[in-house]
Amino acid sequence: MKGWTGYILRINLTNKTWKKEAFTEEFAEKWVGGRGFAAKILFDELKPGIDPLGPENKLVVALGPISGIPAPNTGKAVVAAKSPLTGFYGDGNLGTHVSSQLRKAGYDAMIVEGVADRPTLLYIEDDKVEFQSAEEVWGKGTYATNDWIYAKYPKSTGVLNIGPAGENKVLYAIIRSMEGRAGGRPGIGAVMGSKMLKAIVVKGTKQIPQERADEMRQLGIDGLKKARELDQKSGWSKQSTNAVLAWCNEVNGLPVQNMRKTSHAEASKVDGERLNDARVTTYGCPNCTMHCGITIEDKEGHESELDYENIGMLGPNINVFDLKQVGSLNYLCDDYGLDTISAGSVLGFYADAIERGAVEGDFKFGDAEKGKALLGQIARREGKAGNILADGTLRAARAFGKNSIDYAMQVKGLEVAAYNCKSIPGQALANGVAVIGGHHREAWIITFELKFSKRESYGPEKAAKVIELQRIRGGLFELLVACRFPWVEVGYELTNYPKFFNACTGLNWTLDDFWKAADRGYALIKLHYLREFPNATRKDDYPPAVWFDKANADAEGPQKGVVLEYDKYDSLLQHYYDQRGYDKRGIPTKELLAKLGLEQEAAETEKYARLS
Amino acid sequence: MKITVKLIGPLIYEGGFSEKTLTLPRPMTAGELSAHVKIDRKRPTIITRNGRAVANSDTLADGDRVVISHIYSGG
Ligand code: SF4
Repeated sequence: MKGWTGYILRINLTNKTWKKEAFTEEFAEKWVGGRGFAAKILFDELKPGIDPLGPENKLVVALGPISGIPAPNTGKAVVAAKSPLTGFYGDGNLGTHVSSQLRKAGYDAMIVEGVADRPTLLYIEDDKVEFQSAEEVWGKGTYATNDWIYAKYPKSTGVLNIGPAGENKVLYAIIRSMEGRAGGRPGIGAVMGSKMLKAIVVKGTKQIPQERADEMRQLGIDGLKKARELDQKSGWSKQSTNAVLAWCNEVNGLPVQNMRKTSHAEASKVDGERLNDARVTTYGCPNCTMHCGITIEDKEGHESELDYENIGMLGPNINVFDLKQVGSLNYLCDDYGLDTISAGSVLGFYADAIERGAVEGDFKFGDAEKGKALLGQIARREGKAGNILADGTLRAARAFGKNSIDYAMQVKGLEVAAYNCKSIPGQALANGVAVIGGHHREAWIITFELKFSKRESYGPEKAAKVIELQRIRGGLFELLVACRFPWVEVGYELTNYPKFFNACTGLNWTLDDFWKAADRGYALIKLHYLREFPNATRKDDYPPAVWFDKANADAEGPQKGVVLEYDKYDSLLQHYYDQRGYDKRGIPTKELLAKLGLEQEAAETEKYARLS
Repeated sequence: MKITVKLIGPLIYEGGFSEKTLTLPRPMTAGELSAHVKIDRKRPTIITRNGRAVANSDTLADGDRVVISHIYSGG
């Protein structure tokens, strides 16, 4: 088997043991890698109902057949586990040298089981695993932890680590790597913390197996050159992802004041132009020529790496329009190891709940200083508010009551990203059916909706577009594993990716083969969901109620009075289910599961829930 | 005829400005305005007027606010 190393490293923290396990060619071709490997491993190995923060949960780090090989933006890894935030399969990706080092060590994935008896750093070098003490940095932020690791190991080693939020099991704690990279929004950092696992460091010295290595080398060189040219020609990395902030503000899609409003007169103070003007330096992931991590000096003088999502959620969403203060809030999230999207949503929700009288407190929209203090309380689970807010908006809303759940901006427990969709039905659907909970990563169709459809349409073309993008963004890129930005942002051709895959594996796949693998992965994650929530209904795929609430409509501007409509949203959802081959609950039918080769997984699911 | 044009992201550096009000010598379509402010015709763009997308062939009216952006698929 070429293209894959053919091995998974299984590490048990309780017993301090490890073993190298071979997987079959059939497994490789069926699940490809990354999200596919992680979803399959966790489906087979986790019993539904286990405590995500207990010893039975497993952390999976999974790579794909092009991971770590020089080619456009292959320096990413998927991290996954049963999510403590959503209660079912959760994952994320982040830029890290683990992508190449773990493969060079001889593995395509790593499974971490059990719980260590003290704070631990796992050191992996080829066939050797060491369980080192991390007591010295337990309680420390991710920056200090990184420094501590880099004092011992070169920066080219693969590093994953957590901050105090992960240690204290904040349900939206992420995993960090290098300077500024983060992933695992649904609390994968908390799973790491629950295992007393502070950091993973990986070094490999072997060759990554490739069927036609010379061809791949040339494809990779050409690809990196092309992606760089496209980026330079388009000028994308001048503002990187934050170019979209000014646009969202213009088209009434910006999250302002916990998504009560869709634009703000002061939005230009935190837009891409201001970000580029304030740039101190730029960071990026390995094997990337489009470095999108723009750092600025924050209010306290730290270097803080910003992009659209963290500016949108820690800026306009909480009515903070001072870029330095947004930088400070972001720096704290990064250092504590908090997901910036969820953290911004939680702060916005808290200010909203106080303002609407659901809970007492002294945090107000626009109060960046108090916001900073709150982030610390959340990361440490300090005080009543810190502890409740550490559990995310869904659980906080349950604690506050008084219909606050209506404006908890989450789907299936995961906070939605920085797009205010009350007058953008297709993107509302994309959030509703995002397979791990509210997320923009799987599909982003706003320009399609405005330019190629009608904004107010709830037609089947929007469901089709969501599926098309889920297959690409949540499928192809999460399976291979690579960053989607060369394709998304600068138009690097998708057809290059099967070429990379085929040169590495010796197979002869087309994009259609990837769409089938993507659909299989999606269907399996839906089975994860059903096993955990046997009473699942289509209402689980509805976005937050406030997007349907006339009282929350824009009071002025081109979208005045417009909100989502329940009947129409439900019919859009039905288009999505019909086109996917899902039943009325949004669950794949047995017929579809058989077509995707998931008969065994269907039978396993039926022990816990009904399939149609 | 007065039109306010706002450029988004990299278009700011291509057009050489972020936002300005132009006095146009004659009525223009959205596509003509884009070329007038020196945006590369081959660039995939989305043009919105007063918050709604318009076709390149749509004629602009006095007082319009036009936003021109590269097409993004999000972050
Ligand atoms: S474009 Fe940004 S997120 Fe993607 S690989 Fe490059 S630096 Fe990482």
